[in-house]
Amino acid sequence: MPGGMDLKNEVFQSSTCALCGACLDWCPYIANMEDHLVMRFDCNVGEGRCYAVCPRTYADWQAIGDRYLPDTPRNIEIGPYFNVFRVKAAAGIKGQQDGGTVSNLVKTIMEDELAQAVLLTGSEDHVTPEPFLAVDIDDIEKAAGSRFLASPGLRKIIEAQANKVQKLAVVGRPCQIQALRKMDFNRRPDKPPLDLITIGLFCMWSLGWDFNEYLQKNFPGEKILSLGIPQHGFVVKTDKGEHILPLDEVKKFNKAGCGYCLDMTSELADISVGAFEAEKGWNTVIVRSAKGQELLDKAVEKDYLICADYPEEELNRLKGASIGKKNRNLNNIQAAFDKGVKPFIDLNSEMYAQVRKLAEGMVK
Amino acid sequence: MEWMITADEPGRTYLMQGNEAIARGALEAGIRFAAAYPGSPSSEILAMLGHVAEKMDLYAEWSTNETCALEACLGASFARVRSLCIMKQNGLLVVGDALHSASLSGVKGGLVLVVADDPSAHSSTNEFDSRHQARSAGLPMLEPANMQEAKDMVKWGYELSEQLQQLVMVRTVTRINHGRSSVSLGELPKEKPDPVTIGEWDRMVAINWFKDAQIAKIDQAKSIFETSPFNEYKGPEEPDMIIVTCGTGWLYSSEAVEALGLRDRIGILKIGTTYPLPEDFIVKHLLKTKKVLVIEEVDPFLEQNIAGIIAYHPELQVELLGRYGGKAMPRNGELNPDIVRNTLARLTGTAFTGPETAVIPPEEAVALPARELTFCAGCPHRASFFLLKQTLRIQEGQGVVMGDIGCYTMGGQRAGHYLYNFLCCMGGGINAAEGMGQLTRFGFKQPVLALAGDSTFFHSCLPGLVNAKYHDSNMLFVVLDNSATAMTGFQPHPGIGQTAMGKAAEPISIKKVAEAIGCPVTVADPFDISGTTSKVYDLLKQPGLKVLILKQECATLVVRKREKPRVWVDQELCRGDDCGCGRFCSRIWGCPGNIWDYEAGKAKIDEVVCVGCGVCISLCPAGAIKMEGGGACG
Amino acid sequence: MGKELVKDPLNIIICGVGGQGNILATELLASALVEKGYFTTVGETYGASQRGGSVMSHVRISAANEYGVLIPLGQADIIVSFEPTDTLRVARDYANKSTLILTDSRPNYPLGVLIGEAVYPSMEAIETELKKLSREVMIIEATRMAVEAGNSQATNILLMGSLTALPQVPLTAEDYDKVMEQRFKGEALELNRKVFKIGYEHINR
Repeated sequence: MPGGMDLKNEVFQSSTCALCGACLDWCPYIANMEDHLVMRFDCNVGEGRCYAVCPRTYADWQAIGDRYLPDTPRNIEIGPYFNVFRVKAAAGIKGQQDGGTVSNLVKTIMEDELAQAVLLTGSEDHVTPEPFLAVDIDDIEKAAGSRFLASPGLRKIIEAQANKVQKLAVVGRPCQIQALRKMDFNRRPDKPPLDLITIGLFCMWSLGWDFNEYLQKNFPGEKILSLGIPQHGFVVKTDKGEHILPLDEVKKFNKAGCGYCLDMTSELADISVGAFEAEKGWNTVIVRSAKGQELLDKAVEKDYLICADYPEEELNRLKGASIGKKNRNLNNIQAAFDKGVKPFIDLNSEMYAQVRKLAEGMVK
Repeated sequence: MEWMITADEPGRTYLMQGNEAIARGALEAGIRFAAAYPGSPSSEILAMLGHVAEKMDLYAEWSTNETCALEACLGASFARVRSLCIMKQNGLLVVGDALHSASLSGVKGGLVLVVADDPSAHSSTNEFDSRHQARSAGLPMLEPANMQEAKDMVKWGYELSEQLQQLVMVRTVTRINHGRSSVSLGELPKEKPDPVTIGEWDRMVAINWFKDAQIAKIDQAKSIFETSPFNEYKGPEEPDMIIVTCGTGWLYSSEAVEALGLRDRIGILKIGTTYPLPEDFIVKHLLKTKKVLVIEEVDPFLEQNIAGIIAYHPELQVELLGRYGGKAMPRNGELNPDIVRNTLARLTGTAFTGPETAVIPPEEAVALPARELTFCAGCPHRASFFLLKQTLRIQEGQGVVMGDIGCYTMGGQRAGHYLYNFLCCMGGGINAAEGMGQLTRFGFKQPVLALAGDSTFFHSCLPGLVNAKYHDSNMLFVVLDNSATAMTGFQPHPGIGQTAMGKAAEPISIKKVAEAIGCPVTVADPFDISGTTSKVYDLLKQPGLKVLILKQECATLVVRKREKPRVWVDQELCRGDDCGCGRFCSRIWGCPGNIWDYEAGKAKIDEVVCVGCGVCISLCPAGAIKMEGGGACG
Repeated sequence: MGKELVKDPLNIIICGVGGQGNILATELLASALVEKGYFTTVGETYGASQRGGSVMSHVRISAANEYGVLIPLGQADIIVSFEPTDTLRVARDYANKSTLILTDSRPNYPLGVLIGEAVYPSMEAIETELKKLSREVMIIEATRMAVEAGNSQATNILLMGSLTALPQVPLTAEDYDKVMEQRFKGEALELNRKVFKIGYEHINR
């Protein structure tokens, strides 16, 4: 397994980094400020954990899927799953958006002590993300709302290990769920396996932190209360009112590394949660493992969540969106490889050929 | 040592450092005023005079820069008070305008300017030869060849200065300033004259009207030098060759002549008054020979002045050899007894047989690790350079860093992660940054940083800061404030709150000065690596001039003041060679206190050199470095 | 005037790493020699002394006349060193087959070794080469002895004790004690006297 300088050359310098944070804090060479993630000093370690855990270095994702979701029916569009539901909270949690599903799943984890800590992402200014380890139900509120800026939240894994957290729950973006799986898949034989519950979020892209500067420049003196994409356009709520930015304007701030992501729905998570486009107030939930189903069942049992059937039409739309992302980014990846970026997936595999085929069919 | 330079024991011989001898000479001359800016190898002189000032009834100050020092001495001289001004060769260049002007106005009370050159630039950025300035300014100059002469010349310098009503320069070199030898003490004056009243029509004015007077003074100096006891010839009456030498060259030459058994063939003409040269005296002796070798430190200054004399005296039929052209002697670099002896052996065809030495074939020689200069254990500069380097890497904007002169000049080397892109002279960093910072108007996008120490800030950065502010340059000016002039041995400066005489003074706040100029100022602790990194990161994003003061006291001072905490490595926690950090603490942080326990394959603290700053604790990814006890940091 | 020297001039080099106190030790040695009436000159390189560089003092002792402050290559009669690799570095330049070497065995790691780019050689290898370069090599665990006696900072004076005990050096312990008395007071004087004696007796036992 290669080391830090390889990561620097293959990932940092080719801007494929997804800012998942998996390489941070274990290693003293890799430093982060806002969305910059660099080698601050040259590393001389030939083989590195950083390289082994990175979602943008080569991995056999099929083998990883087979390891962690062995019995789950395969699906080319949205990854392995048992079931897809419409879910919403029975009662609200302050600050939540959409269906409040994630907050209630986390609450269930904490009440039933399914994990000793939950890795969440909060934001004091409602813009810049701050990952933290929640150990208390009161902490959940701090994480309510959507984060749009990329955050290297997985750095907190090191803090959790230092605090002797045996069972950890993680709410993360697809790249982070991938990194967590890789972290365990490539762990040294003398290390114990990670005991995780993973709640994956749907993610089309993350924004670079220069978007924050853009907001400050465009809405000077205004205190931002929330960001969101309720239906159409990017809504910035401030103490002075509501501003709607065209999505295309916002997308200019997309993190370059997000353009190499083939996963919209956190395909390796125990349970994935995202928006339900057809009706406000609901979430889409994809159950991928027995652990995920168990968690959802518990939350429903507690009357925290209401679970309903998922309309066929919506499922097709979801799959279409996922294939769309995959296809777009396959093209980016192809272009990057052509420019000399070291291949981190096997573009010739049967799976990607199918993705292209499905995407073609969609266009027709 | 203070007790030695003030000892009232005429005729007593002590081992004295050259700098002690100079201070003693000034005390024997009855100075009441001394001013200097520190610089190796001259710094000990004023430090000692400051310590004895009260006892010896004189005033001594560490001036803010060399121009302040020289002009302060001119003020004292105007009131007929004898004064001593001290600087190193770089300082003499700072003071160039004042020097050339003062030679026109002349002086009233004796004024001796001691300039210490640093051949081979042991602790300098260059080995500039100060003697050119004496000639250029038209000032008489003396060059001591040993410590006794250093004392005697400084003392006599005052008589000469008052006789000529002119400033007298004494040029020394590192081996005189920092060497030690026997010095026989003279008498200390019982009384010193008080300053005179300056009358309404008294003048000390430097304008070109006085050029003729200045020339007359240098001519008079020449005739005085013709009979000076500081010049002497020793050797046969018809030598094969005469060595003309000054300063350290004299003893090297004598030793070489002895070692080669050439006493009957070679004469040595020692010159102590190297500008203006005693022309008649030199001609008289050079007529004895056909070959002249000039041995002197740094430039062929004496040599080319002698070449001038030869050109004006057709009766001299001599071949002149020396450093000029680099044929007989190396063109640059410090002299030593081997260079002088080997040159003499070659020119005279004599063989030298020294003691028998072993020759170790290269393949049998033990490979020795080079002893690079580095920051001391616990030095705040190490932390500053570490965090600046990492911020520039994180910022990904390829910042350009303009360095300056002080301990932190080492930041341009490995100790500072090779941070500097630019290095010139004291105050050079901020001005170069100002210039580059103006290029944003042409699309230049890189962040520009200038670094300077606290002493350098006062010495030469103030006009630069005003300039940068007034013209609103896009740059970050970082003051590395370690509350010391550490490079040269901890002389107080205006930010410290203490004078050369050990008196309390109101310290001048760098922060307030910069704020008064209108700069936004951030003060941060370099030991808080991550917190200060964020601050620097944020500052680099802002346009215009920003000032950042990285404040943490010099470790060498801290260790004298507080109880040292114990820092150690919990080797159970240290990841060691086995997994992971690649010896980050010792390899990257590079503090002499962080060493490697090769047997255990783990990190270790060298508790003898560690001063307990504790910064490495925050850098260890495994949390293996621990601290207990001790007083709080700065 | 002091007694006749075994060699005139007698050349002694005292070396180590900046901050180890060799300048002070040398100054005391030379002062004691001046007090005995010898022409004594000392050449010192410092300025870099606070910052981990090699520091070397040349002491030249003569009953006849003053010498320049630097010892010619290959002409050191005695080398006293506070650091083994510096001992070897200096010995390569200044030792001859009659030179006597006194060295502390405690390494002071240079930057290159700390960062793992260079290797610090073994004491055995250093000693083997030193023996080839000189007449005699005496390795003294001066730092260890000074730490045991109370303070590593006193290593310099301990080695001066050992140096003074050598028959070639025209000083007695009392001569050195006189200058220590001039310079130190109270606890510092007591500590320096104690370690001087340890160093002296280490040679003279």
